[in-house]
Amino acid sequence: MSEPPIPALPEDDALAAELALGVLEGTERAAAEARLRRDPALMARVIAWQERLAPLNHGFAEAPVPPDMLNRIEARLFPAPAPRRTLWMTLAGLGLAGVTALALVAFLVFSIPPARVEAVLTAENGTLTYDAVFDGLRLTVTRVAGEPAPEGQVHELWIIAPGAAPVSLGLLARGPLVVAYPTPPAGWVLAVTVEPAGGAPEGKPTGPVMMQTEITL
Amino acid sequence: MTDDHIAQHLGRIAAQDRAAFRALYAAASAKLMGVLLRILGDRAEAEDALQEVFTRVWLRAGKFDATRGQGMTWLIALARNHAIDRLRARPPRAEGDDAMEALADTAPRAEVQLVARGEARRVADCFDRLEPDRAAALRGAYLQGQSYADLAARHAVPLNTMRTWLRRGLLSLRECLEP
Repeated sequence: MSEPPIPALPEDDALAAELALGVLEGTERAAAEARLRRDPALMARVIAWQERLAPLNHGFAEAPVPPDMLNRIEARLFPAPAPRRTLWMTLAGLGLAGVTALALVAFLVFSIPPARVEAVLTAENGTLTYDAVFDGLRLTVTRVAGEPAPEGQVHELWIIAPGAAPVSLGLLARGPLVVAYPTPPAGWVLAVTVEPAGGAPEGKPTGPVMMQTEITL
Repeated sequence: MTDDHIAQHLGRIAAQDRAAFRALYAAASAKLMGVLLRILGDRAEAEDALQEVFTRVWLRAGKFDATRGQGMTWLIALARNHAIDRLRARPPRAEGDDAMEALADTAPRAEVQLVARGEARRVADCFDRLEPDRAAALRGAYLQGQSYADLAARHAVPLNTMRTWLRRGLLSLRECLEP
């Protein structure tokens, strides 16, 4: 059976539909997603296809969620400020009474964690350094020593919550990277990997970790 | 201006509003769990994936653009993409699985009957105009996260034929929806 060639579904729109559906695999999928990250026009087409196909979402039935799931998610996203509680319990344990203890507790409870946090990422051989500054609303990452990744490669910045998979914060090219991002809690990790140009193909780091540092407040 | 409550929650979550995050969770978690369970077919993995999806919702809410789409569509796309990432990362399945799936899928399923109103009705009508094999392939891709290779095996056609089918089906669908 010889069907005529596919008519005017432009190649990009077909690719966008395939991305919205998720039917691609392997290197084809990786290449398409890498392109998607740097091609806003393609992203707009993918979003249009998501909306076009959205009525199919009625085909997904709701399913029960375990009752403790929200707690698990919040524990992962918002780790409790452990040292404060320890001190509070210590005070309670010591039986410190009266105004002094109350005042101390009030101070501890109302003290606000610093909005501005800095971290330094340095390669093991010391030839490359990035400065990362969280100001409460934004993360700004600036290369203060060394050279950007060679042609065909790129440095990709990741943030890793305890026990969670790395989440890409963006690509470190020639200029500083500025992304809207809240100041993370202590214990989260920033890392830089070497990835193919365009970034890690499937949103997961693939290249060697060049540098990493833990957030300390 | 908008009555898209999910979109409103996402806007507030982008500004680090934890109460909005809880409200969004209450409004969307059962649906997203349904998406993950349907595609992954495994409750433990779906629960694990749900945690990851809500983590990404918190981290990426700022990327949602309410001028370009619905909040729930964005959430479901995020969940579908994550579930499909997991599917594609699985080792290749043994022969026979596909045959079982093909058998199971020959019976019409409740969820294929789209809710017959508004936009959903239009899409349902447009699906009815597609050749049944192509409509089934599109639904398999959307609701079960099947890849071109899965679909080709299930429908016993070469991969390029499946690609042509699906692209034709998508073209017809787009033309039908946007006359």
